[in-house]
Formats: sequence, structure tokens, C-alpha cells
Amino acid sequence: MDTDRPSDQLPRRRLIALAAMTGALAGLPTFTATAAPQRPADSLLPGGDARHELWWQAPADDRSMIEQGLPVGNGRLGALASNDPGREVLLITDATMWTGGLNDSLDADGQFPYDRENFGSFTLLARLTVDLPDHDLSAVSGYRRALALDQGVVTTSYVRSGVTYRRRIFASRPDDVIVLHFTQSGGGHHTGTLTLEGTHGEGTATSFGAAFPNGLRYGAAVTAYGSGGRVAVEGPRVSFSGCRELTVVVSGGTNYAPDAETGYRDPSLDPERLARTKVRAAAAHSADSLLRTHVADHRALFGQLDVSLGTSSAEQRSLNTWERLKARARDGAPDPELEAAYLQFGRYLMISGSRGSLPLNLQGLWLDGNDPDWMGDYHTDINIQMNYWMADRAGLSACFDALTDYCLAQLPSWTDLTRRHFNDPRNRYRNSTGENAGWTVAISTNPHGGNGWWWHPAGNAWLCTTLWEHYEFTRSSSHLERIYPLLKGACEFWEARLLTTTLPGTSGEVLVADSDWSPEHGPLDAKGITYAQELVWALFGIYCTASAELKKDTGYADTIASLRRKLYLPQVSEKTGWLEEWMSPDNLGETTHRHLSPLVGLFPGDRIRPDGSTPADLVDGATALLTARGMESFGWANAWRSLCWARLKNAENAYQLVVNNLRPSTGGGNGTAPNLFDIYEVSPGRGIFQIDANFGTPAAMLEMLLYSRPGHIELLPALPEAWAESGSLTGAGARGGFVVDLDWRDGRPTRARLRSVGGRTTTVAYGDKIRTVSLQPGGSVTLKDFAR
Amino acid sequence: MGSSSYSVLPARALRAVVVLALAAGAVTATPVAEAGTAAPELAAKPYMGWSSWSMQSSKYPGLNPDGDYSYLTEANVLKQTDAMAAKLKKYGYEYVNIDAGWWRDSTWKPGFDAYGRQQADPVRFPSGMKSVADRIHAKGLKAGIYLPAGLEKEAYGAGQVPVRNADGCTTADIVYDDLRTTNGWDSSYKLDFSRPCTQKYIDSQAQLIADWGYDFLKLDGVGPGSGKSGDQYDNVADVAAWNRAIAATGRPVHLELSWSLDIGRVADWKKYSNGWRIDTDVECYCNTLVSWENSVDDRWDDAPGWTRHAGPGGWNDLDALNVGNGEMDGLTKAERQSYATLWAIAKSPLYTGDDLTRLDSYGLSLLTNREVIAVNQGATPPARPVTPSDPQQVWAAKNPDGTYTVALFNLADAPAAVTADWSTLGFTGKAAVRDLWNHENLGTYKNKITQALPAHGSRLFTVTPQGSALTTTAYEAESPANTLSGNASLADCSDCSGGKKVGNLYLGGKLRFNDDVVGKAGTYWIKVAYVSGEARSVDVSTNTGGATRHKLPSTGDWGTSETVSVPVPLKAGSNTVTFDSGTGYAPDIDRIDVPKTS
Repeated sequence: MDTDRPSDQLPRRRLIALAAMTGALAGLPTFTATAAPQRPADSLLPGGDARHELWWQAPADDRSMIEQGLPVGNGRLGALASNDPGREVLLITDATMWTGGLNDSLDADGQFPYDRENFGSFTLLARLTVDLPDHDLSAVSGYRRALALDQGVVTTSYVRSGVTYRRRIFASRPDDVIVLHFTQSGGGHHTGTLTLEGTHGEGTATSFGAAFPNGLRYGAAVTAYGSGGRVAVEGPRVSFSGCRELTVVVSGGTNYAPDAETGYRDPSLDPERLARTKVRAAAAHSADSLLRTHVADHRALFGQLDVSLGTSSAEQRSLNTWERLKARARDGAPDPELEAAYLQFGRYLMISGSRGSLPLNLQGLWLDGNDPDWMGDYHTDINIQMNYWMADRAGLSACFDALTDYCLAQLPSWTDLTRRHFNDPRNRYRNSTGENAGWTVAISTNPHGGNGWWWHPAGNAWLCTTLWEHYEFTRSSSHLERIYPLLKGACEFWEARLLTTTLPGTSGEVLVADSDWSPEHGPLDAKGITYAQELVWALFGIYCTASAELKKDTGYADTIASLRRKLYLPQVSEKTGWLEEWMSPDNLGETTHRHLSPLVGLFPGDRIRPDGSTPADLVDGATALLTARGMESFGWANAWRSLCWARLKNAENAYQLVVNNLRPSTGGGNGTAPNLFDIYEVSPGRGIFQIDANFGTPAAMLEMLLYSRPGHIELLPALPEAWAESGSLTGAGARGGFVVDLDWRDGRPTRARLRSVGGRTTTVAYGDKIRTVSLQPGGSVTLKDFAR
Repeated sequence: MGSSSYSVLPARALRAVVVLALAAGAVTATPVAEAGTAAPELAAKPYMGWSSWSMQSSKYPGLNPDGDYSYLTEANVLKQTDAMAAKLKKYGYEYVNIDAGWWRDSTWKPGFDAYGRQQADPVRFPSGMKSVADRIHAKGLKAGIYLPAGLEKEAYGAGQVPVRNADGCTTADIVYDDLRTTNGWDSSYKLDFSRPCTQKYIDSQAQLIADWGYDFLKLDGVGPGSGKSGDQYDNVADVAAWNRAIAATGRPVHLELSWSLDIGRVADWKKYSNGWRIDTDVECYCNTLVSWENSVDDRWDDAPGWTRHAGPGGWNDLDALNVGNGEMDGLTKAERQSYATLWAIAKSPLYTGDDLTRLDSYGLSLLTNREVIAVNQGATPPARPVTPSDPQQVWAAKNPDGTYTVALFNLADAPAAVTADWSTLGFTGKAAVRDLWNHENLGTYKNKITQALPAHGSRLFTVTPQGSALTTTAYEAESPANTLSGNASLADCSDCSGGKKVGNLYLGGKLRFNDDVVGKAGTYWIKVAYVSGEARSVDVSTNTGGATRHKLPSTGDWGTSETVSVPVPLKAGSNTVTFDSGTGYAPDIDRIDVPKTS
């Protein structure tokens, strides 16, 4: 038995589908031609589970797409769908649709331009509109739309003049297209027009192609076919009349290539032509066949994890998702099934947005305009890391690879930029040692090898620890091999950067990070910030482990190990009682600031543990700082707080922060929009979508149920009262190379099953009951006696 | 308890009364009917027609080529007359109303006759006002004209201008010695009705328009209202004088008052006129005729306080209904439908300001939907908000035949589902629903109906109950079982059940009902009887749950109790229900009615 992957425990049929999927992952870095997909032999579509259905009784419109549009995506090609009966609008995105470029001319302050021209921006690809003039929303009844998280399908239904109309929308990875399938029962028909238009002035056409000033070529194409009636291209549009059914197929992409050598382009690729080829190929199949192929592909990933947090009431179940969110906030009563569905929605977004192309950016894969806030970029000082904390925990290790691929593709450029520009005399963060090596990044990065905004020296370390955790979850040696150059380059950077200093009142020399900004507040030029010290300490540790496991560069690992031993580690302030953020007893920033940078050692790091292995004063200092930061922030900041409280085993605080993020967002306020996107109120009344909380919050929910680090697993470390009665978790990743299934009742685990995906020995704890488990990769064990 | 003073006459009887009145050759303008008495000759139903002002006031390209307000010409009025006769007359539209400026030239300079009365501008109306009225009548339609309140300054003529048919009276004899100004623009000298000449001046104006053959007069700038208050702007005497003057002419002339009339004087408006604009102009004075925010959407807040005052003889005028051409109106389809829905159910006069020669097909369908027009024109009461506090609102009226007129509104900027729960209407179980805009029976709905509405959208239904009456338990605010905190205190209220209410709910003032018992846990729509002279918000919570803020519309004054329903979660057994003013000012609470089942 092959013992390398968690999927090995799956039934035979799903295994085949998964193998097809993972095979495709390696070969599909961009928009590219692919072999014909493998189609499932089953003629029946598996039914969706009501637990996994989100539903609404109102559509979106042009003005509310980011709050109400429903996301679909095939990991690269995405859309927000309005589901308006009279006007279906899809705002179509491609993860690689980026303006800007290398951006290697520093501003006068030695930092990077941060604009839409030089640094660039994630931006829309196209807008697809299907107008059905007789189906005006004000003229239909019984409107309902649903997102089946387990199927990956958006369904809209309504009655017009006695006829029930139903449309399905899905983004298929196997066929690399988005499909809209319009059906009816009761003798109705579809008459209207179909319009594909570029969002950058390309006009309207059944296909279009163009290029940005950065040379990136892009294109999209649409086709449609009906049964009964007539479908015809009329000028720039497609018109259809009297169709009993109508199928619309759209695709598109760019000639982006994740390769610094080629300037991140595939010069041989004509995106418009490829899009036309793809829609034509898909249109050779029935909509049902395309749907079954898609659902089989989607379910193979979605089914990797299941979670039950308890049973909701009949009244809660009777409410649509938006009403349910509002009731949850109003009544204060837990709604365990809604909360589990919110977790699964995060998984749905990851499956839809992170498969083989670029990783999920600040907005994931979804936009409602060409100019997203902060360019929809990759923020390296929390946001991109948070986007991927959930993946391995939630049975979506396969989705993590997009981040790895991205970092590796950027590494040559990041290295080059660091070498050429980091020690620019205008850069306040340059190495005062005068030395320069390895690579680092700015706070923002783009996919063209470019940095944006300010240099962010410790960003390299945080990217590395994030990539490393994927190894801890999966024990994938090939992953370790791939990320090793990143780890080593980051160590080289810090070897050149660390300063030797003597702490006041001591004779001992310590190493501290050079001048830096603890994200994103307080002094701009502080040495030895906790954020950098913690991350570098972690980086050096993982490098040494990686070197040992790969049997590479052992001499250099010794050097790094000795540097690590001399690293200054933060103290608890005698003044504030908090873990220090700036090597100062004083509070130099905003007490309730959104970032928890000095707590990276609590989460995602493991240095600060409330289990007696860490000095109590350090745990107390971290707890005091976390307490001072408060419970009322927004999206990702709440999610991070929740993760930290989960690590501190404070279940009710951790849960309250989840609940805070579930508050309905109205009028642009912080919270969850009707479509469950997390909204951050950047200024009064102006809310924007930032996807990180949609991943960070589920990560926190999982962290409340299962804690792990290599060699140690804790069951239900922070189970809140709301979920205590009974529940289960199946397929959760655990660091150390295990997958855990867990059932609980009355707040205690009743059964835990561990499967090794490469892990061998670990302790498994519940409270003070500790068991040691030893497994061969692929083996499993069931533990039942924790509750006794 | 307050209840609407409206009482319904069967439609057939109403017609009979009107016919009788006409047959008897009634020579006096019928004063506004008191509730339940004989139907009035004028404004038995909200009037329907067209007004020139919306196009006059718009910057829409081409409408006013010779300067502001220059749209108003004889040619344009007759063009609209022809279009109305051709397209709208058969649906009940009958008044063609000439608005401000008919006596002013393109520079807005006015013209007056030898008696200080407005005379037609010869460029705008070369044939004169009588000719225009005749030609409107020739189409089987009625003619409307316009005047501002008071003696226009330019008509004063140094006080030397004689008043017609009033021996020795000049303009100096009808105003105050200090020439105090009046009306919404201070464009007139205030008339002094203690002086005997003054009524004569109004009589002479009324006789002129009656002689010309006008059937309708809009008197504008009337106070208190029109943005003014205080004695100087109190034009009640003017309105009374006009009522007398019109009666004296022997011609039935509908008298409509404008604008933003003071609700505190509604008894006077009802006594002397046939309708009153409750709000500012609906027009935006922009590149379209109107816009949603400026100021169509204000009407949802402003109409409820006036609802009880509408009835045969005098109606709450929400201003022009500009839904006939989406591009000119500056509104989405959904906004146009909502606009028409509110006007219909509030029983506002239905007069459009659109270019009737350019109605689009959707606009025509809105203006000519017979089922919707029947809601407005039928012998049914105006609707009020029943669940008003969210951007998603339900308005309803109980009809004499036992059905309900129910409108769903989504006033939010994004699509939303809107639910009408039958318990808020007073019954439970099933009900048949007819969609009036779409001329479609939607079937039978149990306990509630939920529909998806576009941004600023609406639905309009006739709901026929098939279930049973809702049973509720009443809890009086003044009950000693309740807990009052902060400044909250009992007050007398003759319109309230039990004669008392709890007031002074401000800045932390709180009223808690302590023992509201239901058998089963669930969400209950409790009916709140309250008193509030303005729209006010209150935080409603139950037991230990979080509060929901509800905005309750004005009841018109501080002595009138009205009801709305709000949803609250209740548990089986005893519950507390709390009304908390929080950091603001909340309405006075009269009573709550808690359904026995959710």
C-alpha cells in the first residue's frame, strides 16, 4: 500500500477521481491546454447534503456583488454570480489577471512604489450578462438560490407565470470552463441575450483578447447552445429565443507563466484562442455531463473533511442563511449547524480558489471591480499566511501547493531584488552590517516577481514557517525538497542582518534584528522587535531540522544553530505585564491594534505553550497582551485572536471571536455579508471584502477542536459550551503527519482515530490523560477511553 | 386605542351620492366630508391627472430651452392634454394641471390685470387661459391652475391697484400696514383678513379662474408649512377665504394645498381643502425629473403620520408620480414600481409629471394597471406600515371585504427578501395571494409570504385570509407588573388603551414588560401600540438576548396611538420584553399584544 497520502483511506472510486485531480495539479500551473477530462461513469449525480447547502431568498445586483454575489471557481478561473432572474451577471476573474510588473525602481525613501501601474493590481477579466427580459425580479415569485458547498454548484429557482425555472452555475476544473445551465419545467422557455464584455475597454464580443502594458495577454470566450428555440450570434451578442434549455459556457485566462526566466509569460500562448478552444470542447458535451464531471472533481476534495458541531433547532433550520446569521446575532443562541457550514464555506472557497494557479490573495479569487483595495495583492505580514492556515487542518493539503508554487516562482526575483536594492542607502531597513545575502520581500508582493510598499525583512521568515508547517502536516518529502532553497535563502538573509548587542546590565551578547517596523504600528525603526526575533528563531529552527532531514548543508546548519542560540527572545514588560513588542517595557503602539505580531510565538508558532513547558511568566505576559488587544476587532484580527485564545485553551474567548465574525455585516460594517464573505469596515459605512477571515475563522474553529505540533496532539483543547453536547470531526490534519477523526459527547472525546500520513509517533492528550501512539505511515489506530 | 377615522362607503353607494349631488345642481363647493357622512362632490377619490411642474423644474435636456421653467407653454399643455386623452383618460386620469409661471415671462417677470390678478403671459399662453381650459374640456378632461398664497409683491402697485367688485378697495386695504411678507418664498405680502376688502380680492381671483372654467386650483407656498412657521406664515385664513370664494363662484373647484403642510393644522386643511402636500417637492431639480434619494424615498418616512387623515373629500398628497419614462424619471424599474405602489396604497392623488408623449411601455404599464389603480381609487382605506423598522417594510390595509392590501418594500440599496407574516395582519393559517402588478394569483401561502425584491423594489398583493383570527394577549405599558427605569414614567393618553402610556423614554429610559407568557419557544411578532410625534427608534430585546433597534414611524402627534409589529424571540413560559431608549429618544409605549402562538 502506498502510504504517502491521506487519500489512501478513501473508497476506490473517489481515489480514482482524486488521483486524476492531483495529477492535474502538477501539470496545470496556468491557463493551458489540457487533455480531455476523465468523466465519471456514474450516470446519477450524487445528491447534496442539506447541511452543506447555504440558501437565500434574494439575488445580488450590480451594486451588491461583493456582499451578495455567490462565488464559484475552479482554482484559477472564478466568478461572482448575481443570480438575478432577469439579469444573470457573472464578474469573471482569473487569478493571474494582474497589471504591473517587477517594480524595481525604488521610491526616494528606498521603498517600493505601491500603485496600480508599477506594482500592479489584481483585476477583473470579464463580465458576462444573461438578460431574460421577461424574468424581471419584480415579476417572479418563490425566488430561491442556493450554494451547495459539497457539490460546488449554485442553483437558482423561481416561478414565472406558473413555470418553474432553474439555473445552475458551476466552475469546472476538469473542463476549465464556467457553465450556466438554464432549465424549466412547466412548458416555459428562455428568450434573451448573452453578453460577454471585457472590463478594460475591450468591448463586447463572443470572444476577445487584449494585453496590458506589462505585456500580459489575456482573453475570454463564450458559447451557448439550447434545446428547442434558436441560439444565434447577433453582432457582438448571442441571442436566444424560445429555448426550453440553454447552456452557456465561458472560459478565459492569461499567458501568465510562473517562471522568472521567461518574465512570467508564456509567449506562445494566445489566451483568446485557447479560451475559444476550451468553450468549444466543453460545448461538445451535455450540461449534465459537464456537471457530473465537475461534481465528482469537487466532491473528491470537499469530502476530505466533515465536521458536526451539534444540532440546530427546527426554527434555525427554517431560516435562510442571511436570516439565520441575523438571528444568530440577535438571539445570541448558538447555531451549531450554521457555524459548521461557515467552516465548510471556507473550505469551499479554498477548493474554488486555490488549485494549481496563483495562491489566494487578499480577495481570494473574487472581485466586484477592477481596482480592489490594496490591489488585491499578497500581504506578507499576516494575510497570505492566514489564508493558508486552514488548508492542512481542513483536509485541503492539495490546495496549499499554490502558495508553495508561488513562492518558488518568485524566489529568483525576490533574491535579485534583495541583492540589488535591500541595502540601498535610502532604505531605512537596510542592513547596518553592510552585508546582504539571501532574499526577503516587501509587505506586499505581486505575481510578477515584484514587491510593493515597504520592505518587510521578517516576511521571508514568516513565509518559510508557513511553508514548513505544510511539511509538518503532510510529511511530504518532495515538498521539503522544494521549499529548502527558500529556507536557506532566508537564513542567509538573516545571517547577514543580525546585529550583536549587549543587553543593559549584562555582559552576555545577543543577536537582534536590525531596524524594523512591527506590523503595522509603533516605531518605524526599532531593533529587536519581537515579531522578527520570534520568526527568525522559528526559521532557524526549521532550517536546522530541514537540513538534518535532507542531509544537506549540515555545516551551515551548525552555523545557523549557533546563531539561533544567541538570538534575543522577548521579555515580559515589568511596566505593562505584557509580552514586549519592541524590546522596551513601554507600550509604544496602539493597545488594541489589529495585528498580534508579538504573539507569533503563540500562534502560529509554538514557542509559547500553556502546558508547563514554557515559563509561566511568558505565558502570562502573552495572555495579558492578548487580553489588552481586546475582543472587538474585525475579520482577520478576530480570527487571529481566536486562534491565540484557542492555544491558551480559553474556549469561550475563542468562540466569542468566531461569533463576532459571524455578526451580519450591514451598511458596510464589520462582519459577515449575506454571501458569507467577511467584510472589513475600512471607513465609516465603507466595507470591503478581505478573504483572510473566511479562512482564519475556520482555522480557529479547528484549532479549538484539535491542537497539534510534531509529536503531540491534543483533543478538544478549547471546546466551547456551544459545541460541547455532541459533535464530530473527520479528516482533520495534525502536525506530525496524521489525520484525525474525533467524536465527542458532553464535552469529552468518545472516540479518536489517528491515521498516519507519514507520522510515526505522537502523544495524544485530552486534558491530563496522555497516550502515546506509534504508527507506520498508512496505519491507523482508534482510541476510545479518553472520557473515562 | 387609536383607530382610523376612516370609514368606508360601498363603491356603488358612493357613486350614487355623487350623482345625486350633481343632479341637485349643488352650487356650493362641498366642504370636506366628515367621516362616514355623505360623500363629497370633490375629491371623493384621490384625483388623477398630470401636472406641468416636474418637467418645468427639470434640467433634463431639451425640456426648458428658453430658461428655467420655460417648459410651461400652451402648446406643451395641449400636447400633454392630447396624450392624456389618448392614453390615460380611460384609466381615470382627468386633471391637466398648469403649475407655477403661467402669468410669468421667461425671465419669471409676472403680469397682472388691472385688479392685481395674475394674467396669462402672452408668450406662454397666447390664446389665454380660458381657451386652454376650453380645449382641455373639449377632450373630456378637467383643467387645473395654480396660484401662490398672499398678494404677490409685484401686484401691490404701490397700494393703488383697485380690487375688482369691491368699491373703494385697493391693494393697500388688503395687506398689513407693515407689508409683512408671507408664503414659502416670502414672495407675497401677507393678506389681512380682518379687513373687509381682503376676502373680496380672493373672491375676484376665484371668480376669474371659475370664469375661465378651471376645475382645480393648487394654492402654493401655504403655511404653516412650505418651510415656514409662525404667525406671519400662517395662511389658514387664506385657505378659508379660498374655500369661501370658490363656493361663491358656484363652480366646483378642487382646492389643493402645497407644500409640506404642518400636520398640527390638519383639521384646518381638512376643513377647507381637498388635499394637502405632506412633503417637499418630489422633484430633484436635476438632470432627471426626480431621483430616488431626492426625494422619492422620503415619503416612506413621512406618510405614516398622516395616514389617518386621508379620506373622501381630502387626501394626503405625496406629490407627482413620475414613473412613466425611466430615463427621464431617473429611476430604475424597481424604484418606479415602488413609487407607484406607495402612492397607490397611501391613496395619494395620482398625477404624473412625465412627458405623456414619451411614456415607455413599462411606464405605461405602471400608470395603467387597473388593479393597482383600483387600490387607490376604491373604497378602501389607505395602508400603513405594519412592520416598518427595517429597510424591508410591509405596509397593509384591511379592506371592507375582509381582504388585505399588502405591499412589500425593500428600501435597501441591495436586493433582499421581504416577508409579510400573516400574524402582523391579525390572522393565522393560510391565505390566498394575488399579485396586482403582475395580474397573477400566486396561490395559497401558510402563515407568511416571502418574496425577493430588488434594491428599492416592491410587491403589491391582495391577501385573502382563509385561516383564523389571531389570538393575542394584551399587556398594558402602565401595568404595575412592569419595570420602569431611568426617566420613564406614566402619562395620561386619551387615545391609548387604558388611558395611559409610558413616556419619557429617553437617554437610558426603559420599559420592561416582566411576565409575557407564551406556550412555545419561537419568534413572535408582537404588536406595539405607541405614540410618537416624530419617527423615533427604540431597542427591543427579550429576556437576556441582544437588542434590535426598530425605527417606528410618526403617529402624527403626541396624543395619537398607532401600532406596528416587531419580531422578538420568546421562550416557552414567562418572558421579559424590554423597550430601551438607549442613547436616544424613544416613542411612548401604550401597550403590546403578544400572539398566543408564533
